Amino acid sequence: MFRFFKPPNIKFLRYKYFAFALSGLIIIIGMLNITLGKGLKFGIDFTGGTFIRVKFSQPISTDEIRARLAPKGLGGSIIQEIEKGQREYQIRTAGLIKKGEKPEEIEAHEVIGNMVIEALREAKDTQLIEKGLKDLNTIDHKELVSLLAAFPEEAEAAANRIIEWRDEKGIIDNFDSLKEAGLKEEIIASLKEKTFLGSLSILSRETVGPQAGKELRKKAVLATVWALIGMLIYIALRFKIAYGVAGVLTLAHDVLVTLSIYSFTNREINLPIIAALLTLVGYSINDTIVIFDRIRENLRVMRKLPLEELMNVSINQTLSRTILTAGTTILAVLFLFLFGGKVINDFAFTLLIGLVIGTYSSVYQSCPIVLYWQKLFAPKKALRR
Amino acid sequence: MKRSLGWRLILTVIVIGLSIFLATPPKEKIKLGLDLKGGVHLALQVMTQDAINIETDQAIARFQEQLKKKEITVPGVSKVEPGNFKVSGIKPDDEGKIRDILDEFFRDWNYSFSGDSVSVILKPEVDRYLRDQAVNQALETIRNRIDQFGVAEPTIQRQGLAGERLIVELPGVENPERVKNIIRTTALLEFKLVKAGPAPDEETLLKDFNGQVPEDMEVVRGDPKRTQGGYYLVSKVAAITGKDLRTARRSSDEWNNPAVAFTLNPDGARRFEQVTSENIGKPLAIVLDGRIQSAPTIQDRISDSGIIHGRFTIEEAEDLALVLRAGALPASIKYLEERTIGPALGLDSIRKGVRAGIAALIAIMAFMVFYYRLSGINADVALIFNLIIIFGGLGYFHATLTLPGIAGIILTIGMAVDANILIFERIREELAAGKGVMSSIAAGFSRAFRTILDSNLTTIIAAIFLFQFGTGPVKGFAVTLIIGILASMFTAVFVSRLIFDFVLSRKKRPEQLSI
Repeated sequence: MFRFFKPPNIKFLRYKYFAFALSGLIIIIGMLNITLGKGLKFGIDFTGGTFIRVKFSQPISTDEIRARLAPKGLGGSIIQEIEKGQREYQIRTAGLIKKGEKPEEIEAHEVIGNMVIEALREAKDTQLIEKGLKDLNTIDHKELVSLLAAFPEEAEAAANRIIEWRDEKGIIDNFDSLKEAGLKEEIIASLKEKTFLGSLSILSRETVGPQAGKELRKKAVLATVWALIGMLIYIALRFKIAYGVAGVLTLAHDVLVTLSIYSFTNREINLPIIAALLTLVGYSINDTIVIFDRIRENLRVMRKLPLEELMNVSINQTLSRTILTAGTTILAVLFLFLFGGKVINDFAFTLLIGLVIGTYSSVYQSCPIVLYWQKLFAPKKALRR
Repeated sequence: MKRSLGWRLILTVIVIGLSIFLATPPKEKIKLGLDLKGGVHLALQVMTQDAINIETDQAIARFQEQLKKKEITVPGVSKVEPGNFKVSGIKPDDEGKIRDILDEFFRDWNYSFSGDSVSVILKPEVDRYLRDQAVNQALETIRNRIDQFGVAEPTIQRQGLAGERLIVELPGVENPERVKNIIRTTALLEFKLVKAGPAPDEETLLKDFNGQVPEDMEVVRGDPKRTQGGYYLVSKVAAITGKDLRTARRSSDEWNNPAVAFTLNPDGARRFEQVTSENIGKPLAIVLDGRIQSAPTIQDRISDSGIIHGRFTIEEAEDLALVLRAGALPASIKYLEERTIGPALGLDSIRKGVRAGIAALIAIMAFMVFYYRLSGINADVALIFNLIIIFGGLGYFHATLTLPGIAGIILTIGMAVDANILIFERIREELAAGKGVMSSIAAGFSRAFRTILDSNLTTIIAAIFLFQFGTGPVKGFAVTLIIGILASMFTAVFVSRLIFDFVLSRKKRPEQLSI
């Protein structure tokens, strides 16, 4: 039998004051940072605005992008490189519509989005379009087929292949790469005559109106609160009210600590982040319950032991499981974080820190809270189930 | 424990077989979300206030008609707000007659007299009904338009049961701007006789009318994209409207510019013929959504067909014909959210998500075998079954797989082995306490089961709220998480046990367990 460790006998609860202090400190610093410092950066899902992902055909720097946007009064946009060396950037038009200046309608965001794209496009693109050339990086299937009319037999297949290739690469940056896609020389030559390779392609574009943002915010808070209440009721029914309260306080702790840490990153809060928070709430309670369950079981067997001691024994007994499960789950999420791609990266990051905190809190927060609750409200009664 | 292996084996085979059947071929059975396939997601609000406004205007017109019939004169009938109009300055003698009119012809309205005026308010249930109708009608109209435009597998649905929101999802649309415009256009088409104009401003326009707009006329502006702009004075009542159209298609005018040709239904044709024959030589304004598209002079009597000019591009003419065919929206709509995901981004997400998933799967399976030896293989089999059931579940519920959904599956891979770990650790404890193999397994499973149930149910509670609140991608995440957890309870508890029993039943007296 392989084990990482022998059944241990660690006095976990001896460190409860240290744990309280540590968590308290993180939360206080975090809340200060959220309220007075950098604050949480809410994304367009909650603030409204436009979010554009764009891929350039040539390498470009953040400063250069800003320099192109600034003359149009769009210099205040938030610009981030998505992945090093991929020529992909995300641009968010935050705060460009001043309150009261214009009716805050989605159309205004849309116009700004168009302005951003126009400003980013190189001047030569426009000139070439005026000359009657088509941009191979934005052309649609139908148009492409009609451009290839000289090759009636192959037009359909070639157009499909080109668009497939474009989707694969994000942007076509030189005509020769089309050879790799298996296109015939004649077709490439004909494309060279009739089309050009535009300087950018829009990977995605999302616009959220102010009204929708407000509602999504409300819904997110409601969902979280209801989920917590739901769990409180379930645990209170299956265990005792003290455990329910401790469970939910632990969860609140998890969410607060995660948000605190999140506030020190440059990541934005969007809908998936709320989903991640709710998930870690579900995971952390899962973890807590395994320990509570063992306490419940031991309460029946070890009738003489003081509650604090009994908790230590229970935590030790479940420790290998706690570490193993946390290990496999964190491992899975770590792969998501490392290889899952940019769209899901913030989500994976939130889960990752949340899982670590959830595991820690199951041991160091939930049990001490039960202990204190019992001291406060049931000082004389034996702390039995 | 002498439970029969047979039926458990059969049940497992059935569940896995069914899941495989439901999930294959994956390309057809598993629907990909817009974030993976690329496409347009729109959230829009039907401005149902418009429908109430129209109802109120029509009610006022009907009311005035009745006044005329009964030869009652009142100084003013005015709209207070949509769903509420006020008649003031009623002579005491007329009060009874007005009550009769209201009782007989305005059953959908409540009224209350105070002094010499009466306030008429639309009944709340009628108000609700009209708004509900407007949303349904808008949904049908938009569906119609999208079908005519030709989008494969569009989703158009109301958000919530009584919501005024519509969610439109269009996978794989290449030209989102165009579709957005087609959906947005109210497409209220009216043909109205021009009384004066065009003039550069209202003052000049109303010069011949003492600066007052006559009661049966209204001022309409020329669409700056289609005409020279300017102001027109036109008759309030339309000669014909979009409802009278039988069909519309893109065509071209005598200068070969793109235009929209239409034909009228018999009733519309009769009225159009009358109006045109009486007004030869006068201009007729073609008004779309309150903007004049063109105001050609009536050359001759026209009956059942005609043409709409305006400086259209080919695409614009095509789209206008499309929306005219599909009908007008009962109320204007407002976009709340627009999300366009390009196919390249979706492809990239799938590739990376799958790669992360496979890496996580291999790492965890390797770990389980390393740590629990042969029992680890048992857990790995359960894990694979778990994944099969997730995909079967997605296929069965016609659920959409989104990027967060893939993340949910990856998370489930990590969490699913939790049940196995709980059980195995329990078995190890029992073995360490000196129990025999079979009784350790039995005790391990039965003791761990309660823990597994409690801990998983709380996670499901969180996931259900997530499902309730989330839209699109987040919902996809909640679905995979819920299916994944339920499946893991089946595979870890039921299937793993079966494998233990099956393997150990072949030995007479199992003395050692590889765990």
